Amino acid sequence: MKMSLLLHLFSSSMEGFFFGSGKAHVVTGVALVILAGLALSLWRMDRRLSKMEDDLNAPQS
Amino acid sequence: MNHWNRLWKFGSLLLLAYVILRGFSTPLQPGLVEAEPNSLSAGTQDISFVAVGQPFLRPGEGMEAFELILKSGTALLKTELTSVEAHRVSATIEVPTTLPSPALDAYLFTPSAGTLFLGNAFFVEDAEKGPLPSHLTASIPQESEPHLGFSFPYQPNIMESIRNLLWHVPMWFAMFFVMGIGFVASLAQLRTGNVNWDHRAEAAVRTGLVFGILGLITGSLWARWTWGAWWVSDPQLNGALVTVLLYSGYMILRAAMGDDDRVGRLSAVYNVFAFVMLVILLMVLPRYTESLHPGKDGNPGFNSYDLDNSLRAVFYPAVIGWGALCYWIYTLRLRMNRIEYRLLTQ
Repeated sequence: MKMSLLLHLFSSSMEGFFFGSGKAHVVTGVALVILAGLALSLWRMDRRLSKMEDDLNAPQS
Repeated sequence: MNHWNRLWKFGSLLLLAYVILRGFSTPLQPGLVEAEPNSLSAGTQDISFVAVGQPFLRPGEGMEAFELILKSGTALLKTELTSVEAHRVSATIEVPTTLPSPALDAYLFTPSAGTLFLGNAFFVEDAEKGPLPSHLTASIPQESEPHLGFSFPYQPNIMESIRNLLWHVPMWFAMFFVMGIGFVASLAQLRTGNVNWDHRAEAAVRTGLVFGILGLITGSLWARWTWGAWWVSDPQLNGALVTVLLYSGYMILRAAMGDDDRVGRLSAVYNVFAFVMLVILLMVLPRYTESLHPGKDGNPGFNSYDLDNSLRAVFYPAVIGWGALCYWIYTLRLRMNRIEYRLLTQ
């Protein structure tokens, strides 16, 4: 019950935000999603390279 | 990744998120963009102005708090306001047969948005040169300081596209930053002959090129809707293009030499030359010429005409954020180069 209330409050405040300023905030949301995608891909690449470096640095058996 | 590494990378992303949120959601200060009709003739006429940005009419403000004055030469011509809306103001004007100048500038005095200006708002076609009749002369009203809250400055012609400053300029700064790393790496490569420096130089140039190309594209897009052309023959713009082509030559040189043992040394010599050209083409030559691009003709890159405090509060985080992101991409490329080298030489 509490969870659904929280979700309702969250979605209604989101609606208020995205309908404001002639819906200009939708552009902000899109730009943030693009940044998040770029961040995720760089983060994954970083981790993969770390793994490859660890493999290369591991003593050969 | 250790903690420090995570911290600065996460910090750069947070800064960029802040730049996107602040950059897109901050309103623009109001500015007059259009006057109607285009030309006036002697007699009583209705005029109106259209504005962009925040509304200059705030709740609770009445029309009596506003005043519209037209300026002909040094004389001030009074008008009578008929309506004030959020982005539009209308007035009646009695145009005399004699005016000091046929071109009229407009000044709209507002209670909360300061004084809005539109140069050459009207042209009086049949006006004879002469003094303004005294009964039509206006006196300068009391100016009020604008109190619009956190908002970006209105600049004629640039308008809402001022937000591009948070993308276009930091990309060039980021390119300068990594190309500088590449320059130092190439000098070290020439001095020591260590292949590690060659890896650094290659990674820096490759990353810097991406940001340079993004800088060219974003600049061209901005120029199209502020200067009216995708490209104008200008020392700053041409210098930027030549710089990107020079660095493309670096990548072509490396690709053409393949596995030649001299690739590191030769490309290091080329990179040192390319960086010197970058400084000359982008930082020295444009200062000695007139240009549409801001910060030229002897002025520094940014001055009080280009930036105000609200823009600075977003622009500086944008420079740090983009710079850190560029450096992150550079480190990824560098690590790829090192892994590739180790796999090939093992």
